[in-house]
Amino acid sequence: MRTRLRSRRALALLVPLLLLLSACASDAPQDTLEPEGPIARKIDNLVNPVFIIAAVVFVLVEFGVLYLVLRFRQRKDDDPDELPGQTHGNTKLEIGWTVLPALLLGFVAFATLATLFDITNTKDDGLTVQVTGQQWWWEFTYDTDGDGKFTDEDVLTANDLVIPAGENVGLEITSRDVIHSFWIPKLNGKKDAVPGRRHPLTINADEPGTYVGQCTEFCGLSHAYMRQRVVALAPDEFDAWLERQQDAADEPTDADAEAGAELFASQCSVCHLARGINDDQFEEAGQGTSELVSENAPDLTHFASRGAFAGATFDLWEDLDGDHIVEADEIGTANGGRLNRGDLEAWLRDPPGQKPMDPVTPDQVEAGERGRGMPNLNLSEEQIDQLVAFLQTLD
Amino acid sequence: MAIVERPTALPELPPGAAVTPRPLGVFTRPQSTTGWRSWLTTIDHKRIGIMYGAAAMFFFLLGGVEALFIRAQLAAPGQALYSADLYNQLFTMHGVTMIFLVVIPLGAAFMNYLMPLQIGARDVAFPRLNAFSLWLFLGGGLFLNSSWFLGGGANGGWFAYAPNTGVVFSPGHGMDFYALGLQMTGIASLAGAINLVVTVLNMRAPGMTLMKMPVFTWMGLVTQLLLVFALPVISVALFLLTFDRLFDANFFNVSAGADPLLWEHLFWIFGHPEVYILILPAFGIVSEIIPVFSRKPIFGYPFMVFSGIAIGFMGWGVWAHHMFASGMGPISVAAFSLSTMFIAVPTGVKILNWMATMWGGKLSFTTPMLFAIGLVTMFTIGGLSGVTHAVAPADTQQTDTYYIVAHFHYVLFGGALMGFLGGMYFWWPKVFGFKLSDKIGKWHFWLILIGFNLTFGPMHILGLQGMPRRMHTYIADYGFELWNMVATIGSFLIAAAMLVFVANILVSWRAHRLNPVSPGPDPWDARSLEWMVQSPPPAYNFDPVPTVSHLDEFWHRKYQENADGKVVRVATGAEAAQPGDSTDVHLPSPSYWPLVLAIALPIIAYGLIFNLGIAAAGGLLVIAAGFGFGYEPSDDPESHHGPHGNGHGDGHAQLGDGHEAGAGSEGEPEAGTAGAAGGETEPVGVASTASATDEPATDAEGSTDG
Repeated sequence: MRTRLRSRRALALLVPLLLLLSACASDAPQDTLEPEGPIARKIDNLVNPVFIIAAVVFVLVEFGVLYLVLRFRQRKDDDPDELPGQTHGNTKLEIGWTVLPALLLGFVAFATLATLFDITNTKDDGLTVQVTGQQWWWEFTYDTDGDGKFTDEDVLTANDLVIPAGENVGLEITSRDVIHSFWIPKLNGKKDAVPGRRHPLTINADEPGTYVGQCTEFCGLSHAYMRQRVVALAPDEFDAWLERQQDAADEPTDADAEAGAELFASQCSVCHLARGINDDQFEEAGQGTSELVSENAPDLTHFASRGAFAGATFDLWEDLDGDHIVEADEIGTANGGRLNRGDLEAWLRDPPGQKPMDPVTPDQVEAGERGRGMPNLNLSEEQIDQLVAFLQTLD
Repeated sequence: MAIVERPTALPELPPGAAVTPRPLGVFTRPQSTTGWRSWLTTIDHKRIGIMYGAAAMFFFLLGGVEALFIRAQLAAPGQALYSADLYNQLFTMHGVTMIFLVVIPLGAAFMNYLMPLQIGARDVAFPRLNAFSLWLFLGGGLFLNSSWFLGGGANGGWFAYAPNTGVVFSPGHGMDFYALGLQMTGIASLAGAINLVVTVLNMRAPGMTLMKMPVFTWMGLVTQLLLVFALPVISVALFLLTFDRLFDANFFNVSAGADPLLWEHLFWIFGHPEVYILILPAFGIVSEIIPVFSRKPIFGYPFMVFSGIAIGFMGWGVWAHHMFASGMGPISVAAFSLSTMFIAVPTGVKILNWMATMWGGKLSFTTPMLFAIGLVTMFTIGGLSGVTHAVAPADTQQTDTYYIVAHFHYVLFGGALMGFLGGMYFWWPKVFGFKLSDKIGKWHFWLILIGFNLTFGPMHILGLQGMPRRMHTYIADYGFELWNMVATIGSFLIAAAMLVFVANILVSWRAHRLNPVSPGPDPWDARSLEWMVQSPPPAYNFDPVPTVSHLDEFWHRKYQENADGKVVRVATGAEAAQPGDSTDVHLPSPSYWPLVLAIALPIIAYGLIFNLGIAAAGGLLVIAAGFGFGYEPSDDPESHHGPHGNGHGDGHAQLGDGHEAGAGSEGEPEAGTAGAAGGETEPVGVASTASATDEPATDAEGSTDG
């Protein structure tokens, strides 16, 4: 009986260790232990020795306890009245095991501070993007007019933060409503987006590619569906992308898309802007400030150039190579991409049904209330088809 | 109030003279000491401790069911068993329940029951206040949970970061229940903490200097001091939140100029000492269990005590490690990173000292010992992952992921709860007069150990793979599926283990009913004073109050050095224990005012949410109960105290005398002086008691306790 108990105990102790060891083995796009940029790598280089130290201490303590349990158990043939040696302590020993961990931690502390200040002092290589969290999506602002401020005159985009690969990109992180947290695990640690404050963070991706993350500070109803992607492009492609983003949207040419554009201008202007399509209506309706607590909805001028929509909850384009991430070369019909029509139509049919939100009804708007997220507009199937045809042209 | 409880000196009466009862009307104190009513009016610290424990286990059931709902929803990606809003309520209420309504009151249960016994006192310093603490905690807890039926639970997380908890973002009443409910449990804990601090500092048995107190009582004292200083901070924060929500104040309104980081700082200045409030009582329990089942004294008692105190102090300087991603400057981050690392040192000292206690011992693996070893091994994992959070840059990757969830469950479940479960098995025979089955207990332990590791072990991996916390669902193909399923299976295994515990209680109770075998005062050959009284202890605990000359006083009354310098048994536990057959010990009468006052406060809280008129009615009731509390006679003349007229001099110390004796004994191990100093109204008092009955014990001088 006793032997069986003991072997089970040993097994139980090994479980967490085995689990930890297997942590690095699987394919996970948000894995914190597989950095793909120099800043995240600095963190990883710090974490590895700390984990090794922790693992050694773990093994020493757990196997130490196991040894004690096996070696010093009361045996059947022991005289029950015979007491073991009554040691009360050993000051030298105890000072020893107070000082030793302190020294070990001193080493960890030194490495921690060095890395901390190294990362904090990483400056951007010229590009700074404003990152604004709101319930439940991210807006990215590029200071394209060069006035040193992030305003509505600059390029605004959502869900996909596009950066040049291999460069340190500065982020100024803030929020329009509650606290969110911006995190792309493969590029850097996270930083909270706090309303009224601007927090700096620098990210850098080694190679062009798409890096995913999600909001990590609980932000209410749809916290789980507040995701974000960083799309790193080769520097010349990035310049072309930024150039294109400054253009107004093209006038749609085919009949369905034209009808969709009209529908967009009449139904969507209370919150959304597509520059070149509904500027006047958006202006009239109060520039998106009337219905939402955060007073802001995604700028859709270049909607179709993004890989995801609705707070990056859904892929906008199909994942053709099956790696669960829509890369830059899968975005846009001209690139050979295929629109994820199913999710987009479902979204237009009933947004709160696709993602938990708390939008206002027209009555509530009358009463001066403001909501969070997109309401159901009760569109007909024909209207949805027209809107999808139009949205596709916003590349 | 301690003074109020003391009966005024009664006039000498001729033998046989009848005392004329005086009618006291509404202020008459209740008298029943049996039946369910007596539980409502009791001011006995032991009954209050039992009720704390029972209430905590009831809330544990609620919090556990909430956890199972959470795990069921997360078993597979993209599930929608229920709405995101309900999920947010469930995880919020799970956290709030487990922290404020389970682990804190479980600590309170053990400390209430054991600390007076361990210091040789007859009750706490303020017995009625103690009852008030219990009822208000229960009232606050039920108030919080009544939100489920009144529009939904709190949904802003237990940490309730502003401004997400404002009316704009959380328009239901859930966060009002959160703020007001925790305000009440906070008042309850604060009153309880002051009570126990005063008790420990003033009411120790003669001879029990601070450095002769059991480690559990020491850790309890540190815990209560942490509560005394930490709770006002959260009270302030909760008041600000309440005013924001109910009266349109702007403490956390960003558009009116507020900085939401104010809440984060206030919350964590409370929140981190809170972590030590949760864990230190369990450390104390384990420090009692391991020596008993190793048959050795605790290794390095002063190091154990001072490491506990060090944790208590350093616990105040680490709060912002919860905020490494919140946008503090690098200097703040560096400072809190360093302080957090070095709080690991005293914690590590404790682990090593427990191991050294086992070294060279004769270990018997009873259920309490298994749980104690469970704490040592599982808490170590939580401690080590804690050090990895202290590495601030690493923490920016880990914080708000499941890695943190894994970490604090290894601390609070693998640490605190393991300790409390071990403590229940350990003290069960003392409290209820029968042992829990060791065989079923071992099933309980192994099931819970395996279930616990299956549930929370995988969360380390999930977190490092980038799965954030507090998500009502997650998407497929990010590597989260397998480990979430494993965790869900593990959580149901924990539930099964807790059913085994319930079964153990029922089976053992039934066996005891069919075949009552008393476990005796000292079933484990234990060391501290609570084992010196019968099981269950008499209402008055000790008579006479023992005089203490050693750490592990009771053990030293059983084992002494013989002529060869060898420590041998000189008495059995039953011989060394007090018989518990005194009939004439005066105890303060029960009171219903604590209950009335504790009911009045939730009425105010409901009123603040739903109708200010109800709040006003509750306020009037508070005033009435306050008067009742204050003008209640210190004693009921109709209750029987035994032969008062001539009974005081014959060695039966009054509760009041006991207090004074304890206070007087600070730094004066000699019982005689202490008693003399304390005997305010009774010139004979404790001094005679001690010298009359403690002769055999004082011979233990010069044994191994150097």
